Amino acid sequence: MNKRQDLPLKNDVAARFVPKIVALMVYVGTLCFVFTLFMTHTAHIWETQFTTQLSIEIPTFSDNASSALQERVVQFLNRTPGVQRVITVPQKEMENLFYSLLGEDANLELLPLPAVIDVTLDGKENVDIQNLESHLKNISPYLQIVDHRVWQNHVTNLIHTGVFLALIITLLILSAALATTTFAIRTSLLIHRQIIEVLSLIGATHSYIATQFQINVFKQGLIASSIGSFIAFLTFLGIKILLEKSGFSFMMSSSFFFQSICVFILSPFFTALSMMLAARLAVMKALRS
Amino acid sequence: MTVSDMIARLVGVGHKYETGPEIFKGITVDIEKGSFHFLTGPSGSGKSSLLRMLYLGLKPTWGNIQLFGEDTLKVTSSLLPLLRQKIGVVFQEFKLLDHLRVIDNVSLPLRVRGIESKRGQKHVQELLDWIGLGDCLKAYPPSLSGGQKQRVSIARAIITRPQLLLADEPTGNVDDDMAMKLLYLFEELNKMGTAVIIATHNQRILEKFPYSQLTIKEGSLLKLPMRKVAYE
Ligand SMILES: Nc1ncnc2c1ncn2[C@@H]1O[C@H](COP(=O)(O)OP(=O)(O)OP(=O)(O)O)[C@@H](O)[C@H]1O
Ligand SMILES: [Mg+2]
Repeated sequence: MNKRQDLPLKNDVAARFVPKIVALMVYVGTLCFVFTLFMTHTAHIWETQFTTQLSIEIPTFSDNASSALQERVVQFLNRTPGVQRVITVPQKEMENLFYSLLGEDANLELLPLPAVIDVTLDGKENVDIQNLESHLKNISPYLQIVDHRVWQNHVTNLIHTGVFLALIITLLILSAALATTTFAIRTSLLIHRQIIEVLSLIGATHSYIATQFQINVFKQGLIASSIGSFIAFLTFLGIKILLEKSGFSFMMSSSFFFQSICVFILSPFFTALSMMLAARLAVMKALRS
Repeated sequence: MTVSDMIARLVGVGHKYETGPEIFKGITVDIEKGSFHFLTGPSGSGKSSLLRMLYLGLKPTWGNIQLFGEDTLKVTSSLLPLLRQKIGVVFQEFKLLDHLRVIDNVSLPLRVRGIESKRGQKHVQELLDWIGLGDCLKAYPPSLSGGQKQRVSIARAIITRPQLLLADEPTGNVDDDMAMKLLYLFEELNKMGTAVIIATHNQRILEKFPYSQLTIKEGSLLKLPMRKVAYE
């Protein structure tokens, strides 16, 4: 028998449902948090890989005319303040792109591909797109300017909102777990009020009594949340295998995988510690009143 | 007499339970260090209530109690346990913890004070042996008789050698021989410096031990000084 356990909390009816609820909440909570990590990583990949903000499309005329026009456009862009990088997308890459969209047997002879020039802005100077467009139209009225930033911003906002929402949900789940702990502790205090009274009559400090509850809650919380986290980890592995089988393994970078493992290992400790703190606060508050 | 010689000082203390009669009408008394008192009075006169006030389990409705030099009306929740740690209480209704073994019940005050040790544990065993409970160390209170529970409660109250011992009918459930033995135990404790207040009805004890008697009568406290007796 544990000498420190002066209260019979182990067989507490009031607290019997707590481990199950905590395990469930940690299961959902860790998965939710890992999802925010995933979104953050995706956002990062997104921001580092898709740097092209503008594309200029030059329709194909005769080969010579096109390359001369291309040359002029590139020169003009290179002179434009605020432009960091100008890259002409190789024709081969364009063809590959179209084949992948339309299938291998698409006839590109019938569908003349435009030349595409990708433009990366340095972000320091505010480039006036309309002004740029009118200058380009002066070079040739057939030039098309496509501003990717609008939809890129949409996607980035969407990802950030997703991260934010998932974090909020994680926090809500954690608060629910802590609220459950607090309610269970309050019931437990009522059940054991006579024992608590005896303890305080023989000189037990509030802190001593709170410690009794804390130790019990920590043990219970650690076991329950370890189970929840372990099942969440199995779910995560399942999703990973599924993604790999469907050819989406690039979505799980090794750094994301490593961070997720850390979340699964640390969340039981974090949860148990938070529950312990909640228990202490609940007991101290109840004893003070 | 200086304040530092005082364990407790009651000045004009009165009490009335919300639902009940006025039980004290302005009691004034000093409990000195190392003194020994019996507390007597008819059933329902307020012996337990007075002891309860002394271990800060009951607030006086008016008047003032000073305990170990502290004004009990101003005691904070952090000071309260420290004052109680100087007091050992034998409750009339024992108040043992049923889920703890006898030995753990008795060592509870040591644990609460953070002074539990191997030596302390041995001390607990010796004490339980001495009061005839050497065979019940591992028993749980519900399996004990009334007299056995009472002795466990006494052991728990004195294990820390408190500065003040409050015993509410500590011999109510034991035979006369055991009652005498327990009284000798309290005397020993008193010789080591503990102030002792024992609420009792037991005439034999009152006759045999010549200590001062505090008698509650119609809400007042009468003090009979220590008798001079020739020991046989
Ligand atoms: N919690 C309470 N609420 C209301 N009245 C109470 C309460 N406790 C005690 N009393 C009343 O206060 C009076 C004194 O009770 P107390 O227990 O102090 O008497 P006592 O001298 O210890 O009696 P006994 O010798 O029978 O143990 C009694 O009339 C009792 O009914
Ligand atoms: Mg009584």
